[in-house]
Amino acid sequence: MTHIWKTRPWFWVAVLAAIALVLPLVVSNPFAVDIFIRVLLFAFIGVAWNLMGGYAKQLSLGHAAYFGLGAYTSTILLIRFGISPWIGIIAGGVVAMLASLPIGALCFRLRGPYFAIATIATAQVLMLLFLKFRDFAWGAEGTTLPNLGDAPLMMQFDSKAAYYYLALALLALGLAITYRIERSWMGFYLVAVGEDEDAAEAIGVDTTKIKRHIYLISAFLTALGGTFYIQYIYFIDPNTAFSFNISVEAALVSIVGGIGTLWGPVVGTILLEATSALLQSWFGSGHGGVQLTVYSLILVSVILWRPSGLIGVFSDLYRRFTYAGAARAKEVPLDG
Amino acid sequence: MLATLAQAVVNGLLIGGIYALVSIGVTLIFGVVKIVNFAQGEFVMIGMYISFFLASTFGVDPLLSLLISMPSLFAIGVLLQHFLIRRVLALGDMPQIFLTFALSLLLMNIALLLFTANYRTVQTPYSELTFHIGPVYFAVAKLIAFAIAMLLSALLYLFLHGTDLGKAMRAAAQNREVAMLMGINPDRVFCVAVGVALALAGAAGSLLMPFYPAYPLVGQIFVLMAFVAVVLGTLGNITGALIASLMMGVAESLGVQFVGADSGLIVVFVMLLLTLAFRPNGLFGGWAR
Amino acid sequence: MAEALVIRNLSKRFGGLRAVQDLSFAVQDGETVALIGPNGAGKTTSFNLITGYYRPDTGSVFAFGRELVGLRPHEICGHGLARTFQVARPFGKMTVLANVMTGAFLRNKNLDTARSRARTAIEFVGLSAKEHTPARELTTIDQRRLEMARALATEPRLLLLDEVMAGLNHAEVDQAVALIGKLSKRGLTIVIVEHVMRAIMAVARHIVVLDHGQKIAEGGPKDIVANQEVIRAYLGTGYRYEAPAGDAAC
Ligand SMILES: Nc1ncnc2c1ncn2[C@@H]1O[C@H](COP(=O)(O)OP(=O)(O)O)[C@@H](O)[C@H]1O
Ligand SMILES: [Mg+2]
Repeated sequence: MTHIWKTRPWFWVAVLAAIALVLPLVVSNPFAVDIFIRVLLFAFIGVAWNLMGGYAKQLSLGHAAYFGLGAYTSTILLIRFGISPWIGIIAGGVVAMLASLPIGALCFRLRGPYFAIATIATAQVLMLLFLKFRDFAWGAEGTTLPNLGDAPLMMQFDSKAAYYYLALALLALGLAITYRIERSWMGFYLVAVGEDEDAAEAIGVDTTKIKRHIYLISAFLTALGGTFYIQYIYFIDPNTAFSFNISVEAALVSIVGGIGTLWGPVVGTILLEATSALLQSWFGSGHGGVQLTVYSLILVSVILWRPSGLIGVFSDLYRRFTYAGAARAKEVPLDG
Repeated sequence: MLATLAQAVVNGLLIGGIYALVSIGVTLIFGVVKIVNFAQGEFVMIGMYISFFLASTFGVDPLLSLLISMPSLFAIGVLLQHFLIRRVLALGDMPQIFLTFALSLLLMNIALLLFTANYRTVQTPYSELTFHIGPVYFAVAKLIAFAIAMLLSALLYLFLHGTDLGKAMRAAAQNREVAMLMGINPDRVFCVAVGVALALAGAAGSLLMPFYPAYPLVGQIFVLMAFVAVVLGTLGNITGALIASLMMGVAESLGVQFVGADSGLIVVFVMLLLTLAFRPNGLFGGWAR
Repeated sequence: MAEALVIRNLSKRFGGLRAVQDLSFAVQDGETVALIGPNGAGKTTSFNLITGYYRPDTGSVFAFGRELVGLRPHEICGHGLARTFQVARPFGKMTVLANVMTGAFLRNKNLDTARSRARTAIEFVGLSAKEHTPARELTTIDQRRLEMARALATEPRLLLLDEVMAGLNHAEVDQAVALIGKLSKRGLTIVIVEHVMRAIMAVARHIVVLDHGQKIAEGGPKDIVANQEVIRAYLGTGYRYEAPAGDAAC
């Protein structure tokens, strides 16, 4: 945990929340708002990944599976059955949870790199399957969503700000859940599993069960992000919904920011998306490769020089400026 | 029907030889250095581009460019081990997985920037050549690639069992502490292991060039195949990886032939998941970790 | 007196190696039993079999009237058997307090209750001063203390200690012996694997000797040190029971 949040946590959270709430009111440039929405969405996906990948160190590279399942569930319900995405988003979450049970049963038998490889495979299998489902799920061509104009009940809005606030609400939900878990027995159990599964079993932690539970939560949240994203871009196909980049970005923002920390994914996303926006304004969007080249350079640097993530850098700086604050730091038992 | 089957098996075996070079590299690095190299496919890609540019600029035959791609990738491997991998060996899973993963992303995207996403092919006199035994056709380029792949695998086997350095490598794979007590310098052994593994990937690239296009993401297919083969063949087990690679090639080819052109990968992934579910220690016994 | 732990015909092979062969012994409720033998005798393997880390090839483990074979380690811990590992395995990035709280959550999921119970256990092993130190920064000896506190926080009825005194100096061994004595007085049943004979003589009323996976002797301390086979296999001729003597083994 960073010391910023140890010293006067609620004050800073309130400041952040206030900035986040007024941001779309003062910035009306749609290009900028679009970036903000991407930041919020990927921070949210990162937070969902981080619950499992960061705290319990189950390094999934297949979270696109749940993103895609959420996206397809709500879209199929919307287009085939006319059901509102507000119901679809929850249904998508439930489908993702159900899918996480067999996938988890398979993958949790494996550790470290084998777990990562197996999760890649599950997401890829889902993508390939949806490429095959032509009749029901539009196959490789995908489909555009019907444009219903300003239809809040169908999760479609004219103003970008509405999408912004929806994404913000998702992120707030993810952070609140993480905060609650971190400060309960479950947070301790997750970190214990991440540190040493055998030792955790020795003191009565049902490691299989706790991994299953956190996977359910993580899959559910990721699926919400999937529905939101498709509602925002009005288009779905397997390569978008199950994109390997989603899996990568979910892990990447957490690692760059700091895995197993509440705010790590947020810090990581802001950094990476800001970089990406700058690159786009310099090189234009036509240059495939620039963004991921820079991302991977950042990732390599972080792993070699700051494997605990960049959030530690900020808290160190803060501590240096406010020594007194650090001395008053309240005890947060979970972390050292 | 029988002829179609035989043709599919032959095609699968021939491409399986290439998969074998990649998976032997993955399993060698895993066995000795205890790292899963997510970037192994990108080194195949580099091998391909080396051969492509030698062929398009100087007219060098891709098979001849093995003599350049293999040493170049060996050198890259030594540098990779010395400057990057070595630094995360003492750390946990996260840095180990994501270092080579980030490297894979980096190499892919640098290739995209430098070479664009275009497919590059090299025409050789034997690229289109085929002959047949009964109803079964053999593409000459693939047959040559297969033969050289098997030859290289055999040479590696001889190296590991017949030379002091090879034996040191196997000792280090079996027990690092004991190997160090025996006076084996782990840094050197690790560098050679990664170097050899990358040289094999480079060889795979050059061997592919006469009949397979080069493009920045080409390594993905090969590394995924390699992962499946390596898990099937028991991590760290070289003979297992070889046999499993040939099996993967055949399975993929049968999938394409009998399920549909886009089913090759599904077959592969389903095989991986089934293996993980029922034989997480691989088909050839041993240990998973 | 009731039996806390009954082990019958326990066997485990690793490939061709018989790590534990046909091992049987019983531990009475409230008793402290020592499991001794040369390195590689199968002591740690026995612990792993009892606590569910390995599945025995044959045999049964009965604790407090319940069969444990086939249960997972966490279930066995739930039934009141806690263990330490020969090489301590603390959760490195957690503080000492958080480590022990994680153990305390087994019986009570409330944060405050777990914290106060954890503090009691930490105080008991004498680590209170380092409550907020990340476990990875502790010395090896403190890590073993931490591991004991973590095990105690699960409120066990039976404690299995694997070489917790290895590497301790004379005074520290005395401390550890006193600690185990205190636990025993509270009614805890203890199985202890140890090489420090002085400590074993001080805490154990009953000793089981293993060699090459087999039980070669069992009995009170006096019988054991006089047993010819034990002397041959483990103690060596230099050891005579004139307690408290020096450390004979290892
Ligand atoms: N997981 C394992 N795989 C293979 N052999 C093992 C394993 N665990 C222990 N052994 C072997 O079993 C024997 C008993 O080991 P152990 O129980 O650790 O002995 P002790 O604790 O008495 O020193 C040793 O020869 C050891 O090498
Ligand atoms: Mg032992």
